[in-house]
Amino acid sequence: MTLVNKPDSNKVKFLIGVFLFLAAVVVLVISVTQSSAEFYMTVDEVLAAPEEVEGANLRISGAVVGDTIYYDQVTGFLTFMIAHIPDDEALVDAKEGELTDILHQAVNDPAASRIEVYYEGPPPDMLKAEAQAILTGQLQPDGTFLARELLLKCPSKYEEALPDQVEVVSP
Amino acid sequence: MIPILGYLALALSFLVAVYGLIAAIWSLLMTSKAWQQSARLALIVVFAMVSLSVLMMLVLLVNHRFDVAYVYQVASNDMPVYLRLSALWGGQSGSLLTWSWFLAGFGALFIIRKKAMPGGLLSWVLLVLLLLVGFFLALNLFMDNPFERFWHFPDGSRVMSVFQPAGAWPLRPTDGRGLNPLLRHPGMILHPPLLYLGFVGYAIPFALAIASLASGRSDQYWLQASRRWSLMAWLFLTLGLVLGMRWAYDVLGWGGYWGWDPVEVAALMPWLSGTALLHMILLQRQQDRYKRWNIILIFLTFGLVIFGAFLTRSGVLSSVHSFARSAIGPVFFVFIALVSIASLALLVYRWQSLHVVGEPAFKLSKEVLILFTNLVLLSILAVCFLGVIYPLVSELLVSTKVTVGPVWYERIIGPLLLVLLLLMGVCPLAGWVHSQWMVLRRWIILCLMLSLLIPLLAIFRQVRSILTLFALWLAAFSVLVAVLPYARSVRNRWKQKAHFFKALLDPLRRNLRLYGGHLVHVGVILISIGIIGIERMQEQTQVTLALGESTTLGGYVFIYEGLESYDSSDGRHITQAVLAVQKDGKPMGALFPARDLYYAWQQTNTRPGLESNIWMDFYAILIDWRPVTKDQATFKIFLNPLVNWLWIGTGVLSLGVFMTVWPRQKGLKVKT
Repeated sequence: MTLVNKPDSNKVKFLIGVFLFLAAVVVLVISVTQSSAEFYMTVDEVLAAPEEVEGANLRISGAVVGDTIYYDQVTGFLTFMIAHIPDDEALVDAKEGELTDILHQAVNDPAASRIEVYYEGPPPDMLKAEAQAILTGQLQPDGTFLARELLLKCPSKYEEALPDQVEVVSP
Repeated sequence: MIPILGYLALALSFLVAVYGLIAAIWSLLMTSKAWQQSARLALIVVFAMVSLSVLMMLVLLVNHRFDVAYVYQVASNDMPVYLRLSALWGGQSGSLLTWSWFLAGFGALFIIRKKAMPGGLLSWVLLVLLLLVGFFLALNLFMDNPFERFWHFPDGSRVMSVFQPAGAWPLRPTDGRGLNPLLRHPGMILHPPLLYLGFVGYAIPFALAIASLASGRSDQYWLQASRRWSLMAWLFLTLGLVLGMRWAYDVLGWGGYWGWDPVEVAALMPWLSGTALLHMILLQRQQDRYKRWNIILIFLTFGLVIFGAFLTRSGVLSSVHSFARSAIGPVFFVFIALVSIASLALLVYRWQSLHVVGEPAFKLSKEVLILFTNLVLLSILAVCFLGVIYPLVSELLVSTKVTVGPVWYERIIGPLLLVLLLLMGVCPLAGWVHSQWMVLRRWIILCLMLSLLIPLLAIFRQVRSILTLFALWLAAFSVLVAVLPYARSVRNRWKQKAHFFKALLDPLRRNLRLYGGHLVHVGVILISIGIIGIERMQEQTQVTLALGESTTLGGYVFIYEGLESYDSSDGRHITQAVLAVQKDGKPMGALFPARDLYYAWQQTNTRPGLESNIWMDFYAILIDWRPVTKDQATFKIFLNPLVNWLWIGTGVLSLGVFMTVWPRQKGLKVKT
């Protein structure tokens, strides 16, 4: 059984090739992650230390304040305000009805902190009052948020337990 | 009556599945063929029962039975029949029912064709399949029942239950909520079920692999028995993914087709490992090596399938594809954990028996290149996996939640896809020995010359990016190399004075599988040409036009010719504009970008206007307009070059897969 194997030079070359490829992938992943990873933050967290997060890639989530939505046809910029809502995890845990309440309260709470959002592009179909906006972009020196990506969730679109309008069948 | 019938069929199918499971185990303990056949019959009965249950659900959906909670959620009076039928998979519990149905269907189809297998294999296959079907049925039955109805009590309180509670009255809504407007698209008929078929199709190879391991076999039986199923599952998965792209392209109106949404990535992952598996199956069958590796690949593929199903249903990730968060998440998680642990334990237990003697010769051969292709595919898979779990992991490690977006994926995976394209071009060349190489040299030179035409054409069309030109050249070269063997074969027959059609068809008759495989590669390369076109050559502009005014993009003139608004019969208010397209004064067609307002949802839905030919798609979105005078409107206009090749390539690829699974003709000598 103990045959002395001559190291196969082709095999060594193959393994070096594999190693180099994997090393290249790892380097690529690390460098791209450093330049384009996004940090989850709430509106409160962003406003607590704006100078620290200015220019960094952020992902923030908030409730859309309906009467602030404005689309400028000339510049092609969309602006609106979002109000602070608790962090994403609490929202994921919330039941549908609770989510609607959280968003509703956030928009109607005068004390809730707000950020003005700029986005270059047409208003998405689901952008409306009390939707949850998830934005990717950067905080600008003037305290506004320039969004590169805009994702919207409307709690009402999801399954609702019981209907409001019904025809009651008597026994 | 119909909801109860559907429910009873569902309950019965679960009971039969449990019985079949016991029968399969018993047949293994007693090595009894009779019990094995009983379990086999049970799986067929399960399929029949689930089919009945699905049929009842379809009847409820078509007949507007809004007293059934599921129907109320996903159907409404204004939805056309085809949408009400496809609402079967439009919500959580219905989609689970569809899974069970497809799973039982695939299982039944497999065992109807395979009445017996050597040793205890069949019992093990039945055991695995019945366990999987039983799990999905149990989810439907105990956690998310699609047949529950609304009831209310005299005091005004309301409940949902299948059977009428004592003292309760039925509650019958006059209309349902219906599918979200985004889902009201013909894509809804095909995209989800094809993906499900792809996912579920991998259950057969998985069950065979487990059965092979469990009964202590180390031969290629499981590979041979599952070959067609792996290929078909892969095709379904591919079609499901591409149809999803087409849907996004047609309806979401951002001019794109793929957004690196976590759920999209989760569906891509089993495709990547499934692609790796297809190639390694070839190697194992030729070389009788890689036994362990292939078992690992099928475990990985099926594990990723279940993982994807878990992600969409758990609410762990936020995505447009997710269902609402439900209690199913944790149950799914436990199930994945148990299946994975059991499978891996079995593999470890049998590890030694899968020992392989010998190593490949590490020279520039097809085998080494396929191994390298595997490495690239699995690297892409690892990157995808990292991207999906990054938010969860980063939170544990550094306590801030960090996420990655489309840019991250594109920058990392883009170069890796280029490497794959290179491998596809080189691989067919590698099998040849030196003497053949001399003969083939002029053919290859011909391929090189011909393929240069494409980048030259692109330069003529104002493409200036070196990377784009290189990618286009590589794609063109790879296509030519992939069709080269067939072209040579045809030429040989032609030289032998065969009739023209005979010369074309003879090579196919002799070696359909081989050329099918090549055709799949041609399809994939054509798809990559479409992706290069839209990713690297897309042009866009946003413009406000007065009536009759025009704008120019990429040499094409777009003229705003009018706008109309009207109500449709299915509850929409449609606003549609007309944009005429011209080039050098010649009309090229018209675009009808529209925006629909769904009254019931108070939600708008943007429908792009699209005019396409094989070189270019003209794609326009209506953003804004003057409602009364209609004398001015704002558009976003895209030119998407070559994107049509994405869809054409998918057709070519499907044809290739059908060629590889086509039954071999008897009486013909098969060259391998």
